[in-house]
Amino acid sequence: MTITFPHMGQVYIPVKALFDDLGVPVVVPPPVSNKTLEIGTRIAPEMACLPMKINLGNYIQSMEKGADTIVLTGSCGPCRFGYYGIVEQEILRDQGYHAEIIILDAPGRDPRDLLRKIRKISGNSPWKNIIRAFIQASKIVEQTDKLQGIFLRKRPRELNKGQTDDLQSRFEKQILQCRGSKEVMRLIRSFQVKADGIPERADANPLRIGLVGEIYTLIEPYVNLNIEYKLGYLGAEVHRGITIADWVKTHLSMDRKYKKQRKEKLKKGANYLNLCIGGHAWETIASTVDYADAGMDGVIQILPFGCMPEIVAESIIPSISRNRSLPVMTLTVDELTGEAGYLTRLEAFVDLLSQKKGTVYE
Amino acid sequence: MKIGIPRALLYSIYLPLWKTFLEELGHTVILSNHTDQNILDNGVKNCVDDACLPVKIFHGHVTALAGRTDIILIPRLVSVYPGEFICPKFIGLPEMIKHSVPCNPGIIIMNFNARFSMDRGYDGMRNLGRELGATKDLVAQALDRARIRQAEHMRRMEAEPGFNPVRSIDKKDQKPPRLDQGIIGLIGHPYLVYDRYINMNICDKLNERGYGILFPENIPAESVDRACNRYPKKLFWSYGKRLLGSGLCMLENKLVDGLILLTSFGCGIDAFIDELLIRANHREYKIPLTTITLDEHTGQAGFDTRLEAFIDMMEWRSRYDNHVPTYGTGVYPGKSLI
Ligand code: SF4
Ligand code: SF4
Repeated sequence: MTITFPHMGQVYIPVKALFDDLGVPVVVPPPVSNKTLEIGTRIAPEMACLPMKINLGNYIQSMEKGADTIVLTGSCGPCRFGYYGIVEQEILRDQGYHAEIIILDAPGRDPRDLLRKIRKISGNSPWKNIIRAFIQASKIVEQTDKLQGIFLRKRPRELNKGQTDDLQSRFEKQILQCRGSKEVMRLIRSFQVKADGIPERADANPLRIGLVGEIYTLIEPYVNLNIEYKLGYLGAEVHRGITIADWVKTHLSMDRKYKKQRKEKLKKGANYLNLCIGGHAWETIASTVDYADAGMDGVIQILPFGCMPEIVAESIIPSISRNRSLPVMTLTVDELTGEAGYLTRLEAFVDLLSQKKGTVYE
Repeated sequence: MKIGIPRALLYSIYLPLWKTFLEELGHTVILSNHTDQNILDNGVKNCVDDACLPVKIFHGHVTALAGRTDIILIPRLVSVYPGEFICPKFIGLPEMIKHSVPCNPGIIIMNFNARFSMDRGYDGMRNLGRELGATKDLVAQALDRARIRQAEHMRRMEAEPGFNPVRSIDKKDQKPPRLDQGIIGLIGHPYLVYDRYINMNICDKLNERGYGILFPENIPAESVDRACNRYPKKLFWSYGKRLLGSGLCMLENKLVDGLILLTSFGCGIDAFIDELLIRANHREYKIPLTTITLDEHTGQAGFDTRLEAFIDMMEWRSRYDNHVPTYGTGVYPGKSLI
């Protein structure tokens, strides 16, 4: 059994460490690239969500490297994500691939099924080891998010242009060489120190932009055309409400406290939307209100084409924008989104924000 | 009070329930007109670009009601069957309307959420009845009568092949289709297959060529469930499940000579459902099948050409493949379907 899994931003870091700790062979899919998307687009239904197309590309590229078991998470509606695994399995089968897909569904009334699956992908390690590995992995998730946070803060403030990116790409190269959670943790911590040490411009007063939208698009840089880098370079500090940790906690854990906190946050959007409509649309609305409260200069909503819940959010956002005089831009991405047009829109938005900010400060 | 109901999305399935309920409470129900170019244009204008055609058209129907009624009823269907959902856009529909259609008069929301149990699903209607000022007893009585009407509507859909709920709502006869050429399964959401403006009047066109039609609603719920059991995970979208299960059932039992999948551009549910159905057909049944995608730019001419080409292909195949369709075989033994 050689495991692989779909990419989503830096999720591969904790996942790889987890399987390394358990001694289960694991293939990290090659970084998402045009090739990945091409493969996915060729075999997926045309109207499938973009994340699924990329998942399929990941699997096939991983299988070429010897993976035979695919692990992914699921959910039980209302959005499509919960049925990804089934459709993917059918597609792979017709393409002649015989990899097994194991879907880890959030535990419902009967957690036994989930436990059995976890045991299986852990190569039947004793529960003690499995639990230890999961605890380590969740610590890595936290620290990875923290490191990302530092990068985001530094990019618009760095004294020497490009230093943050340099450091980040060095980190991404080295992390793949690490085996097991201990090594991974050590590397992350050392890069946190280095990142903290990046000198800042004294006069830096960057614009602050909140990112909201569909979670995969937010987290996977290939899909959002590296929006965080781009905005950072345009001199804006990017805030993103949803992190990998949030995703892990909502989809996989039974963390009651977190769920309560989340509810609290979601209440902020109650005037506009007060129930879950699938995906992360509720978060999108609540975070937009939250960002308005926090005095952000602007918000960008980003979604893959055809994303059902985010389309609902998209129709609500103009009201928030109007009521709170908060500039909001919506970006829809699909496999045809061109780099150039996209950058132009970001530039125009940043220009608008800086003008607005300029007049406020005069 | 004059209450407006948009003649869009799932009204063709649930109108008897909604209308009887409101009328029993002493209100007058006003429906928007059947979809036309004007409604479509208004819908496109008043809705976010990324939305699918049926949702845009719903927006159009809401604008069409503005000024004609005291208030407009927007259903919020979260779940129509325990343990299942429907498309996320239905759940957020009232919000979409509130924030994109300049709504005058206001709207009232009718929740329907049977996720935990069928009876609790009706709580939304009970609450609405109370909000409209009716006593508890009157609400209960109105709901009982409404449910009886609804049950009859549902029964007829399952029992009468080719039953068109829109014709029934309009109190028109169900035209007995000419069956000499065969039967075509028309798989699509109710708001596509029963709205003759959106679907370019496909039903009449098929009838004119001598084909009867089977709709997804014509297949009994148990058969739908059974057909979907082949997948390792329960399908949690009620309508997705109905489309897929009824399609599979038509294939398995050789009820149809061909399948037409009607879908709207950008429909997230159909992207998955149609994919599964097409793959199953390709692997096991191999009957003529085509997908027709509808959006606001679909032209009459192109549509007709596609349809004609499909029918020709089907007829060619049945002539040369010696494919003998088995009309009249029931979905379950002992009960003739036609
Ligand atoms: S939230 Fe959007 S991208 Fe995610 S499964 Fe649903 S439609 Fe697809
Ligand atoms: S099921 Fe498809 S067509 Fe219907 S509202 Fe949802 S996305 Fe639109």
